[in-house]
Amino acid sequence: MKKIAFLLLSILSVTANSNELVVDQACDSDNLANACIPKLTSGFNFLKSYKVNGEAKDKVEYSYVFTKGTQYMINLCPNGTTADGVVVSIFDKERNKVASSKINGQFISAIAYPCNATGIYYIQYTFDEPSSHCAGSALGFKR
Amino acid sequence: MRLITIGIVVFLLGSCSSGKKPDEQAFLESLDSTNTAGPGVDEEVINSILEQIPSPIEISMLLKESGSKYNETILNSSNNLPKYNSNYKKALNLGVYGTDLGYTNIFGRNQDGIKYISSIKSLADELNIGQFFDIATIGRLATNSKNLDSLLLITTMNFNQINHYLQSQSRDNLSVLLLTGGWLEAMQITCQTAAKNPDNAELIETIGEQKIILEQIMLLFTFYQGDENMAGLSADLDALKKAYDKININYTYKESTMEIIDGVAVIKDNSTTTIDITKENIEEIKNIIDQIRTKVIS
Repeated sequence: MKKIAFLLLSILSVTANSNELVVDQACDSDNLANACIPKLTSGFNFLKSYKVNGEAKDKVEYSYVFTKGTQYMINLCPNGTTADGVVVSIFDKERNKVASSKINGQFISAIAYPCNATGIYYIQYTFDEPSSHCAGSALGFKR
Repeated sequence: MRLITIGIVVFLLGSCSSGKKPDEQAFLESLDSTNTAGPGVDEEVINSILEQIPSPIEISMLLKESGSKYNETILNSSNNLPKYNSNYKKALNLGVYGTDLGYTNIFGRNQDGIKYISSIKSLADELNIGQFFDIATIGRLATNSKNLDSLLLITTMNFNQINHYLQSQSRDNLSVLLLTGGWLEAMQITCQTAAKNPDNAELIETIGEQKIILEQIMLLFTFYQGDENMAGLSADLDALKKAYDKININYTYKESTMEIIDGVAVIKDNSTTTIDITKENIEEIKNIIDQIRTKVIS
């Protein structure tokens, strides 16, 4: 009976640990987000870093109040060498798309958005390819 | 069979334990009058609203760019620190001093900034979140005005880390207070600066635009009506909302255009906002902000 109990505990323990390991290895969006901060273009002041983990999701979304007269920069640091596959788009409060990092099929790793209308904006990350679902991102501003 | 049952219970207890470190536990136990949101409140909703509130640094930068002069007298004196005995007051004034530090940094008044660093560290320690302030680095950077970018970066990162930590510990109420204190102080600085520069249209517009932020903050406070302190502050903010109800923000959407310049997607925003606001509106808002802020820092 003792053997059965230890066997059961061992299986449960290994299963729990291996699940954590798989998640950590699959997408370390926390580190990617932190690593993205120093990559903001010079002259922009850091505001926020965003974790972009699209495992089992078709999009990741944050929101922020942008101010008229301020230029914002959103950069993208994917879990790979290029930004291919991960798209960051900005929507206004009425859900009109006002910016995208995918232009004419080309994936761009940064958006410069000189805001002309104060309001709540939605920063949305989507994934064009199933293998590209993990990134970090940073938001900065300058006047 | 009994052993299997015991084993499963031990395992489940282990997997369900919080895993909190002793200092985190002490932090949770140290909270007094600030209760977290009521049952059934989706913390993700609260956190998403918290995340969208702009940094007070943006307003301080605007004030400097608008040509306004640095004015130490409009800030909260660091000598007020001993007055803040409850966690409610500590969290609010941690936000207040955070904004004051950003203001002194942006205007290159490092000696004034150092006083605020010390007050911030004290309040953060008393709230058991002092570990997130890299006081040695901030102090070193603050001695040289050439380090402004690094100083702003590290202080912003530290405040972001505190907010994330508080939210992860389900103490988002303290995050709300920290953020509200920071916003109230930014409003106070802007209103006082605008009073000295009555023809500065940018400052007037900035005060009007804060209607959007106030709506989000008031939304956050609806989750904490069971807390006496927060309900009181919410009532004060409601008076401010009534003043803001007289202001209109008009939004016109027009499709933006984009081009790629040096590997960056550069957007031309063709949408616009205009604000209907009078000098009387500004005066009313300034007076209400002054009353609320006086309560907060006293």
